[in-house]
Amino acid sequence: MKKFIFFTVLLGIVIGLFILAWPFSQQNSEQTTAHLILNDKPVGGDFTLKSAQGPVSLSDFNDKLVLVYFGYTFCPDICPTNLGNLALAYRQLSEDEKAKLQILFVSVDSNRDTPQRLKQYADYFNSGIIGLTGSKAELDDIVNRYGVVYMIHQEDPKDEHYSVDHSAFTYVITPGGELATQLPHATSPDDFVKTIRTYLTQTQP
Amino acid sequence: MFKHTLALFAAALSIISVNAFADNAADIEVEQPYVREVPPGAMATGSFMTLTNMSDQDIQLVQAKSNAAKKVELHTHVHDNGVMKMRQIPAIKIPADGQAHLKPGGLHIMLIGLQDGIQAGQTIEMTLVFKDGSEKSISMPVKSVMSHSGHMMSH
Ligand SMILES: [Cu+2]
Repeated sequence: MKKFIFFTVLLGIVIGLFILAWPFSQQNSEQTTAHLILNDKPVGGDFTLKSAQGPVSLSDFNDKLVLVYFGYTFCPDICPTNLGNLALAYRQLSEDEKAKLQILFVSVDSNRDTPQRLKQYADYFNSGIIGLTGSKAELDDIVNRYGVVYMIHQEDPKDEHYSVDHSAFTYVITPGGELATQLPHATSPDDFVKTIRTYLTQTQP
Repeated sequence: MFKHTLALFAAALSIISVNAFADNAADIEVEQPYVREVPPGAMATGSFMTLTNMSDQDIQLVQAKSNAAKKVELHTHVHDNGVMKMRQIPAIKIPADGQAHLKPGGLHIMLIGLQDGIQAGQTIEMTLVFKDGSEKSISMPVKSVMSHSGHMMSH
């Protein structure tokens, strides 16, 4: 009986130590992406990527205010929250305002997100959103210029359900293609509307 | 010294054994659970809820099961300098007499490899498994990410 108690206690200690050690072991393996965020104001600039309807360039919308969001369709929460808020903002706009706005969703996960899949995804939000993606080289050039950070988090190369760490800013590009500002993750629909109206009136002829 | 330590472990053990007799599932109340509707073709979604612990012991949610997806995992989001990192976690702690909030941007139960038809208006069944092995079945409505406007998406 004594032996049994001793063994149980020992087991408890081992489990306890394991639980204590867990968060540290996790932290150590995850300290990779965070330090890449650029402190300088990102330069932005034109880019061309693939959509289901063929190549699309930022400069195609030189007469519009453009909002660009970088993410991936596997994302269960962060991307749908942001695009959902954008969609709610879009519904508050007048027809005239809608006509002067273009929302772009750029997937940094082109392995899984084909242009067709992106179209299906973007159309769901019913806000004229165009889904775009490109090769890793094309994407990396753009994310560097916009200060986007992303990193594929895949421990097992065969795991098709990997997630992608990504920054979740919405980039505001004024008519003419200049990067004006970036809005943080989970910006409310009302704040999106406010920002859209601010930049639309600023650039009235 | 050894005696002292042993007493401490014995005390710890007694807490563990008290836990073993408790029924975690019965002590947990689940409020407002829902699954987020995803665009057609999307492979994953999150489920959110508030878990209230009515006992005076911490309770760990260690697993969730559902037929709606190939895999169901406990996850959290870590905000790291503006970068959103989603990570699987081994357990979600519901503190004694306290709550765990599963909400967008943070803790969630992730459904991966969705079977067809996660659409607003449907109900998803899920089983929560606690550390003592007890289980709790819940039914969750599927809600559109845009539903809080009052305009449901039509399909
Ligand atoms: Cu997740």
